[in-house]
Amino acid sequence: MLTSILLQAAGASESFIEFLMQNIQIFLSYTGFANATPGHIIMLLVGLVFIFLAIRYEFEPMLLIPIGFGILIGNIPFKDAGLQLGIYEEGSVLNILYQGVKQGWYPPLIFLGIGAMTDFSALISNPKLMLVGAAAQFGIFGAYMIALQMGFDPSQAGAIGIIGGADGPTAIFLSSKLAPNLMGAIAVSAYSYMALVPIIQPPFMRLLTNQKERLIRMKPPRAVSQTEKIIFPIVGLLLTAFLVPSGLPLLGMLFFGNLCKESGVTRRLAETARGPLIDVITILLGVTVGASTQATQFLTLNSIKIFGLGALSFVIATCAGVLFVKFFNLFLKEGNKINPLIGNAGVSAVPDAARISQNVGLEYDPSNYLLMHAMGPNVAGVIGSAVAAGILLGFLG
Amino acid sequence: MTNKKFGILLMLMVLFSMGAKAQSVSSVRLNEVLVINEDNFVDDYGKRHAWVELYNDSPGTVDLRGCYLTNEKGNPTKYMIPKGDVLTKIAPRQHTLFWIDAQPTRGTFHVNFAFNPDGENYIALYDADGKTLIDEVTIPAGQKADTSYGLDVDGRGTWKVLGKVTPSTNNVTLDSNAKIENFQQNDSIGLGMTITAMAVVFIGLLVLYLVFKQIGNAAINASKRNAQKAAAAEGNVAAANAGTESGEIFAAIAMAIHELNDEHHDFESSILTIKKAQRNYSPWNSKVLSLRQNPVIKK
Repeated sequence: MLTSILLQAAGASESFIEFLMQNIQIFLSYTGFANATPGHIIMLLVGLVFIFLAIRYEFEPMLLIPIGFGILIGNIPFKDAGLQLGIYEEGSVLNILYQGVKQGWYPPLIFLGIGAMTDFSALISNPKLMLVGAAAQFGIFGAYMIALQMGFDPSQAGAIGIIGGADGPTAIFLSSKLAPNLMGAIAVSAYSYMALVPIIQPPFMRLLTNQKERLIRMKPPRAVSQTEKIIFPIVGLLLTAFLVPSGLPLLGMLFFGNLCKESGVTRRLAETARGPLIDVITILLGVTVGASTQATQFLTLNSIKIFGLGALSFVIATCAGVLFVKFFNLFLKEGNKINPLIGNAGVSAVPDAARISQNVGLEYDPSNYLLMHAMGPNVAGVIGSAVAAGILLGFLG
Repeated sequence: MTNKKFGILLMLMVLFSMGAKAQSVSSVRLNEVLVINEDNFVDDYGKRHAWVELYNDSPGTVDLRGCYLTNEKGNPTKYMIPKGDVLTKIAPRQHTLFWIDAQPTRGTFHVNFAFNPDGENYIALYDADGKTLIDEVTIPAGQKADTSYGLDVDGRGTWKVLGKVTPSTNNVTLDSNAKIENFQQNDSIGLGMTITAMAVVFIGLLVLYLVFKQIGNAAINASKRNAQKAAAAEGNVAAANAGTESGEIFAAIAMAIHELNDEHHDFESSILTIKKAQRNYSPWNSKVLSLRQNPVIKK
């Protein structure tokens, strides 16, 4: 009798231990360790590099920290068991936050904040600098042509080309409409290269200019009246949006934000737009764009091609801006000439590109301050890239 | 002044109502009609009847509830589309189908009149007020069986006998992206796009440049006039560069005034007092800007 009870207990405990082992095995199968692939490890390293660059070298930390950490969040490996964890699983928290990127409503809100913090005085006082902002948009279409040759279809090529506008929100907005499947790579590429403009641009600026050109001193911009500042966003919106209505979400919000700033009677709205609102959206946008680089979806040959094309588009945009200024100078009188070192600022990486003009200019003449002049093409670049995005959307959307 | 404000308000209201109309039921179009249904689409009861297809030609969802369908010109409220059925909503650029079978007891989408297969037929859609005509069509007599009469382009175009019957779907089947194909065929290297787009970007910013050059000139002239007036009042001559002074000059003046007022002063702004300061510290109210302070009882 006793023997049989002991045998039963032993049998039961054996099956119980087996049950425990099974549970542990199931648990282990859910951990990141069991589901990690080389792709995840690569992406985690990329995220760490972004965070390192942001903290160590202060390359656009406001972008690279959220994106870098987002990459870590998005690349924690997990078992796809319908737990609504991943950014691509409908109904997950990350997926809900990602809708702002996917549906394209974060970018116009960012533009609202940009409008509310941008002082267009430099551009208004010297409006010819707008043309430099237009010339730099060649980066977009140069990359578009190369992307076509690499086998992308026209709408994908358009979405990739917009990286050359050096404008993250515009890139996200356009790619969400033209090539949603490439959006993660395009957004990360655009933001990464925007952070890396201090490395990408100076060599080409030096290469394409001579000592005499780098020393050109520009006339200080005149003081701009408040009336002019108020007229600018209204006329700017009417002219650009009538020409390219498809750029309306971006242009509308940009100029609306600017009117809030310049009208002088909506200070609270302007402060919210350029402060808490843009900060909140930047956090959500950065983290979700980073998290969208989930290795299983992101690590493809196309992503690598997009990264290559992105770098190329920045180079083309920089060169186009600098060369256009040199060309433009042929028609300008002595004393009105433009320093070609501000040509790079035609890409709309505000204000980093303008800061690079200033820094490179100071290397050659420590008393030649180009920052205010470079802000002209820089903000014209924002308008130009939004217009270019509208054109691409109109043609290919 | 009050009348002026009222006028502006009224104008804005009219403008808003015009804009709102773009996504109302007025965007719905009669799109396709089948008068004789012998071997075509069947209803939920497995029966074949004549039908009419409605198309929402707007980018917003439209609800047809309360609107009217009729086949008599003098009787616009013949069949009211019932309220309370979610299916009466038509998604943007989508269709819905009504059975013209004179059997309204069979559901929302079965109307209380029927077509005459041998003669001319008329059908119209009226707004919920029963007076505003949204769309109407007269279908000529002599319709062939299982051949529909509809718009050659969904929601627009002209009425004609269609080559194929397309109930609850587009009259023109969109099985390709014409824009993309056009670019692939005619602009494989992207030069056309580049030239066109760069031209548009340049034109846009060139127009802005020209406009702001004029506005800038006007502003400079206005500043000069003001400076001359001010100088004349004081008996001086206005500076030659009036209106075009560099912002740097104003920044320097502003800095000097700031220094004078805020940096070099004899009196400190702080107040010395022997009165007890009301500061009941708590970590919860330390952020005085964002949290309420402790209530103070006035004696």
